[in-house]
Amino acid sequence: MSKETSSKWKPLVDLPSNVWRSIFRNPLPSSDRGRAATSFTNFFLHIQPVRVSRKALRPSYTMGLGLISFFLFVILTVTGVLLMFYYVPSTGQAYDRMLDLRSSVAFGIILRNMHRWAAHAMVAMVFLHMCRVFLTGSYKPPREFNWVLGVALFLLTLLSSFTGYLLPWDQLAFWAITVGTSIAGYAPLIGKDLKFILLGDANVGQEALLRFYVLHVVVLPAVLTIFVAVHFWRIRKDGGLAKPEPAEAELPPLIEVTVTDAVPELVPVAATAASAPARKFTIQGLVRGPLVKVGKLEEDTVFSWPNLLIAELVVLLVTIAGVMAVSLFFNAPLEQPVNVMHPPNPAKAPWYFLGLQEQVSYSAFWGGIGIPGIELLLLLLVPYIDRGKQGVGRWFARERILANSVFLLFVFVNIVLIVIGTFFRGANWQFVSPF
Amino acid sequence: MAAAPKTNESGEKQIPRRQFLGWLSGVGIVGSTIAGVFSSFVFLKPRATYGQPNRFSIGRPEEFPPGARMAIDAKRVCIVREGNKVAAISTTCTHLGCIVAPSETGFQCPCHGSQFDVDGNVTGGPAPKALSWFQVSLTPSGELEVDKDNEIQTGTYLSV
Repeated sequence: MSKETSSKWKPLVDLPSNVWRSIFRNPLPSSDRGRAATSFTNFFLHIQPVRVSRKALRPSYTMGLGLISFFLFVILTVTGVLLMFYYVPSTGQAYDRMLDLRSSVAFGIILRNMHRWAAHAMVAMVFLHMCRVFLTGSYKPPREFNWVLGVALFLLTLLSSFTGYLLPWDQLAFWAITVGTSIAGYAPLIGKDLKFILLGDANVGQEALLRFYVLHVVVLPAVLTIFVAVHFWRIRKDGGLAKPEPAEAELPPLIEVTVTDAVPELVPVAATAASAPARKFTIQGLVRGPLVKVGKLEEDTVFSWPNLLIAELVVLLVTIAGVMAVSLFFNAPLEQPVNVMHPPNPAKAPWYFLGLQEQVSYSAFWGGIGIPGIELLLLLLVPYIDRGKQGVGRWFARERILANSVFLLFVFVNIVLIVIGTFFRGANWQFVSPF
Repeated sequence: MAAAPKTNESGEKQIPRRQFLGWLSGVGIVGSTIAGVFSSFVFLKPRATYGQPNRFSIGRPEEFPPGARMAIDAKRVCIVREGNKVAAISTTCTHLGCIVAPSETGFQCPCHGSQFDVDGNVTGGPAPKALSWFQVSLTPSGELEVDKDNEIQTGTYLSV
């Protein structure tokens, strides 16, 4: 009787565990095989390697800057989509909607603050991440193209931030965009058309607001997402984070592989990963390049589950906590509504463009187009100019003292220009002392 | 495989059909991509704008007494009258598009410190060229009309 019942009701009794197991193919791993299976059977985990170098996990090496940038992008996407529910890209309504966020929308203030501060932080973090990659020589082959993608991501970050700057339609926004788009007008040949297409009119107005809105909420995030995906994918395909080549003595002996003609029976991986006592392997293909290094396998690796995941979780929590903390204590600035007739004096661009604005105050073409263009070109070409193989994967390697010094000089000059533009320029862009 | 190209009766080389179709597809794909990008930009460049008209009336000459220098910020022009002569000088800075304000010495830009004399010539700062002068005309109804599409020589006045 009881046996009959149990067989009849078994599907119902097992329903929860059946559903659970149809979603999560592996139980929480308790063995190395389980940890490996968890990594490569989960869609969200399979972008990560099964094993990761212990060196790559050291906080002092990467400082988590790339991850922080990515998590800031996630925060920006979430808060940005929420803000879109209340925002209207119209010159008549945009500013009122900002006031509404402050006064009548639940959590409106904190969401706007988080969006604004995360945007500033993302510009800073992407830049610092670029500095980390340079100073550790991590753009060397085979990672040249990922550096180029990174530079593109830096530009996309700046553009996203810049297009978002106009949307509150306050004085700060209006004049910063007036100055910024005029710089575009100085580009040779296409400058005038570029400016006109960007603004949709001769001056900053309703058309410009709508265009910047579409760029800010659709075009740039979509492009950014694709670039981020390729950037991440290439980290793995280029053999993980850059690390020093191990000394000969540290290398394990070469592994000898004997291939027999008999092809063993293929075993489905997922179904057997947790239970099967042994796995059979067949060679599926031969891969050239940095993907598989037989005999050069690093000994000093740990499983991604849970080591890498815990590290990522910590960075995520710290990032969210940081943005939340700043947003609780500091409100995003909102100046007077746009008054087309009265530019504030001085009219300043966002801080990351103040170095550019300072340069522009000497010469519009050279400061706004010429020098930034040359700097960008150099940045893109760095991995193709500097072909030395020494000093990869270490901070401030002695072998890279020339490259690092030149880079730090560029960084220093740009920071000095930003500091001058931020603190030492007053009315009519005259030199003033902040003290 | 790599047989010598076939020749027809008159001895000319024949292009293999596969190669021809491949070439045709390549031109088609590249061509339509270029055409697509180009037409997107044509689409994005507005043919008509919703902004202010570039030709507008500013009132009767009597509203501007001799010696007046009145900046109309909404229209971004400064109306100058000396004796019986009237002119319209642009108040859009030639540097980066801020609005210049009339000062004792001429015009001054709040954004990057460009300075201009009373005729709009650059006297200091990063501005690359002088402020534009626009054509002013008298309409049959006796009003002054400024045409911002029509830039004229610095120092050209309309006698009223």
